[in-house]
Amino acid sequence: MSDSILVTSIDEAMKWGTGKSLWPFTFGLACCAIEMMSTMGSDYDWARFGSDVFRDSPRHSDLMIVSGTVTKKMAPRIRRLYDQMAFPKFVISMGACASAGGPYVRGYSVVDGVDQVVPVDVYLYGCPPRPEALIQALKLLQDRIVAGKVKH
Amino acid sequence: MIPVESESSTKNGIKIVYVAKENLLAFLTEKKEQGFDTLLMITGVDYRDHLEVLYHLLSSKTNERLIVKTKTNEEVESVTSLWKGANWHEREAWDLLGIKFLNHPNLTRILLPEGWVGHPLRKDYPMDKKQYVNLADDGKDRVSFEKSEGY
Repeated sequence: MSDSILVTSIDEAMKWGTGKSLWPFTFGLACCAIEMMSTMGSDYDWARFGSDVFRDSPRHSDLMIVSGTVTKKMAPRIRRLYDQMAFPKFVISMGACASAGGPYVRGYSVVDGVDQVVPVDVYLYGCPPRPEALIQALKLLQDRIVAGKVKH
Repeated sequence: MIPVESESSTKNGIKIVYVAKENLLAFLTEKKEQGFDTLLMITGVDYRDHLEVLYHLLSSKTNERLIVKTKTNEEVESVTSLWKGANWHEREAWDLLGIKFLNHPNLTRILLPEGWVGHPLRKDYPMDKKQYVNLADDGKDRVSFEKSEGY
């Protein structure tokens, strides 16, 4: 009897399930998006980690990977897309530009970090980060979802 | 034959020609008839006392290249009547350098949001005055100097 019944609380099971079925949003902003495409491709195949197909609509997805430079013209659009996503929703800020403005931080047209626009769960450094780093960020996000340490 | 102001060449042998801005359109029309059928790009340079507009031409038959330069203070004739592809190049030069192209079909900003103050690649552009962008209810961009009103 004891090896056929799993006892858990529904909350823990929900968190585990959310972390293991993240649906990212197809959202490339700059060169980091190339690394993101490589990560979702067959070489690195991040469907192995439970984060499956990239969705083309914010209403179908719960993970936004801000992959690239956030220009001032794009920032309000990012906020609008984020607001259109259904709860629970998570944000990975990928690369130096999205995290802190990167090499364009003193420029006239670039926001110094996407955290001024949307709440960020995982910051990922690199210019651009390698696919392994993005996979690590995903694992980190999954751990935080299970531990309940996410912004939304 | 349209007169040129001066002639020189780059290190790798591409001919550079300076033309007065009144003769520019006639000169480029003549060059197009002579076989320079492709406009590779239009760029602009700010030399503080004047602006310069550069046209990189290519002959697809002889593979020959030509750079046509013209000095201007702000205005220059548009070449969209010769090459349709010049449209966006001229809009970019207007957006970032403030070069006004006369008789252009749609001379609006192409990269920065509409309502941006100044042209950022000008040497006298104030870099310390930050501008912030937000979306209005009608879906258009609103630019403001107040940090609280945008991103």
